[in-house]
Amino acid sequence: MMKKLFTLSSLALLAAAGLTACDTGGGGAQPAAVSTLSTGAAVSGEITFWHAYSAGGGEIKALEKTIIPNFEKLHPGVKVKAVQIPDKDMHQKLVTAAAGTSLPDVIRADIVTVPELAKIGVLTPLSEAMPDFQSWADKMFPGPLATNKYNGKLWGLPLDTNTKVVIYNDEALKANGIASVPKTLDELKAAADKVGGKYILAEGGSGAWQMLPYIWSNGGDMTDPDVKKSSGYLNGPKSVAALQMIVDLYNKKAIPGVILGGSGGTPTGDGLPKGMYPTIVDGPWTFPNMATSYPNFQPKTSPMFSGDGGSVSVVGGEDIVMTQQSKNKELAAEFIRYMLSPDAQKSMGQVGQLSAEKDMAESMASIQPYYGAFLEQLKTAKPRPATPQWAKVDDIFTKQTQLALQGKLSAQEAMDAAVAQIDPLLAQG
Amino acid sequence: MTAISLKPKGSREADNPSRNERPKRPLNIWLLVRVAIVLCGAVMMVAPFMIMVSTSLEPNTATLPNPPHFLPQTLTSANYEEAWTENNFAGFFGNSAYVSVLTTVASVVISSMTAFAFARFDFPLKNFMFSLLLAGLMIPGIVVIVPQFVLAKSLNMLDSLEGLVFFYTAGQIAFTTFLLRAFFERVPRELDEAMTVDGAGILRKFLVLYIPLARPALATAAVFSFLGAWDEYVWALTVISDATKRTLPLGIAAFQGEHSTAWGLVFAASTLAVIPVIAVYVAGQKHLIAGITTGAVK
Repeated sequence: MMKKLFTLSSLALLAAAGLTACDTGGGGAQPAAVSTLSTGAAVSGEITFWHAYSAGGGEIKALEKTIIPNFEKLHPGVKVKAVQIPDKDMHQKLVTAAAGTSLPDVIRADIVTVPELAKIGVLTPLSEAMPDFQSWADKMFPGPLATNKYNGKLWGLPLDTNTKVVIYNDEALKANGIASVPKTLDELKAAADKVGGKYILAEGGSGAWQMLPYIWSNGGDMTDPDVKKSSGYLNGPKSVAALQMIVDLYNKKAIPGVILGGSGGTPTGDGLPKGMYPTIVDGPWTFPNMATSYPNFQPKTSPMFSGDGGSVSVVGGEDIVMTQQSKNKELAAEFIRYMLSPDAQKSMGQVGQLSAEKDMAESMASIQPYYGAFLEQLKTAKPRPATPQWAKVDDIFTKQTQLALQGKLSAQEAMDAAVAQIDPLLAQG
Repeated sequence: MTAISLKPKGSREADNPSRNERPKRPLNIWLLVRVAIVLCGAVMMVAPFMIMVSTSLEPNTATLPNPPHFLPQTLTSANYEEAWTENNFAGFFGNSAYVSVLTTVASVVISSMTAFAFARFDFPLKNFMFSLLLAGLMIPGIVVIVPQFVLAKSLNMLDSLEGLVFFYTAGQIAFTTFLLRAFFERVPRELDEAMTVDGAGILRKFLVLYIPLARPALATAAVFSFLGAWDEYVWALTVISDATKRTLPLGIAAFQGEHSTAWGLVFAASTLAVIPVIAVYVAGQKHLIAGITTGAVK
């Protein structure tokens, strides 16, 4: 029933989107000149901005106490209503609001949800709504920018980004007789053999977020470049070999059971500082988290283990998008520009949000020394396949890798089974 | 009641000399097993609560202590101060209290009248209508959330505390009516008829006879309504966007971030949020158990 309602409401939304597109397209006229940050003024009214910034980490304070007041000062008379929605509930709130035509003007959306929101007609493509879109797009790292792509259009811009690198505990490595952190997948395997029965690496799950860096670095892939099919890619020899390597390490007890998810077991962020896990692959948030719980621990970083495909990690983060329903698209566009401005990006950089803009790399690295490793990794990091079906695809993949880890299927069988389920989904687009 | 049971002195058994004088049994193995089971249950219920309170009194961390602390290692009230002041928590507390009290009053008043009608009147389609009411209980809330959202929007009840009361009450009355109807039906018809002979009308009977007799069931209905509104999260999340109109569950969820959660703050806020719940339970406990059992067995 739920599904039917969603389909119906999505259809209605799509129809509405189509109608408005016809309205503006028919005249062929460009919208009135939109003021930009450099020219100031000429925007007015009020917009609503939905985000999932965390209250605990100072992000909300930066937004509400610094960024929005500064924006409102820059454009006297305008008002931005910021609404925080818990990250895990954002998706549900968005689809309900979309059906009830109660969406905000601007959304900070998780990168993996943008294609789905675009598909159900919630978004207006920023490449069409902002005359100066290209100049902003050019500033971005290619990986984060690509997360905004759906159906040949760019629907948003990267607001913040992150990726994962190898984070290690030097003492734990040395205690196990490993002189330096493994740089390649082969060195990782050799190190696992050397420590014999002790943990060498910990992963907190076996979903695409965890496994894709190994698959990509080994030269494999999940889908073709157009995200139309996964057969020949996810079940290709390079991808399967990467997964087989993880399964082998798990069987040798070089990777702890937390990779199967669920509860129990020491989380990666605890095991590393405690010396139980010599290496983990994780994002920049690990640093402030560990600093509060383990103030004496000095984590070190190294690029993702490289292989035939190079050292390729996965892109995370959020995009900023504008809704089709927005009644004040000029102000919304101006707010998006301000959120991407050096001022706002630096404020967010102070509280752990890494900018996706190439020009900002230097100032980011000066804010936090550990950002440097992530910025370097971002140059080659890839986004997860952009598809509206992503949540289902990831679910199928995770279940199959679990079966391989549990020894119920070989890595090849697991990926063949995954491909058989994923391809029909990708065909739906 | 079996002969072997844990009974404090002064209970009915103690008043019964014939039972008291029975020869003392040797330590009964079943008694031990039962105590052990009850103790296990109690520990399972209390342990998470102790972890919550203990973590809330320790300095805030991004990772939970592993293994968990049952007693705080370093005492601090910083989490409580921050939770209460930083995030407009007092405001959320007030919103939740307002919504929960109004929901309780509205659902008890409406459902007691509905239940009375179902219990003591005959009207066409009575059973059908009652089944329809019960059918409402069987549909998971999440299934109707989208149409309900559209309805709330057309009624102008988005971002409104009164709107929450309206939908919470609607959600509660099916269960409370079911509970109260069973109770009203147990009221002896003779009493009802005696009042008729004395010339009492329907309203008088309802207020003077049925309501006072149904006190345990009403207390149960009130406690359930209160807790339902106090704890509710998904609907509030869906309709409330204005930060000043958030209820407590939304306020607590706001401490949880994507990559890290301020556990000290979450637990301090949860501890504060649970106080009124305990108060309501303690106040209604005596009636609550009587209400549930009588409601269950007709």
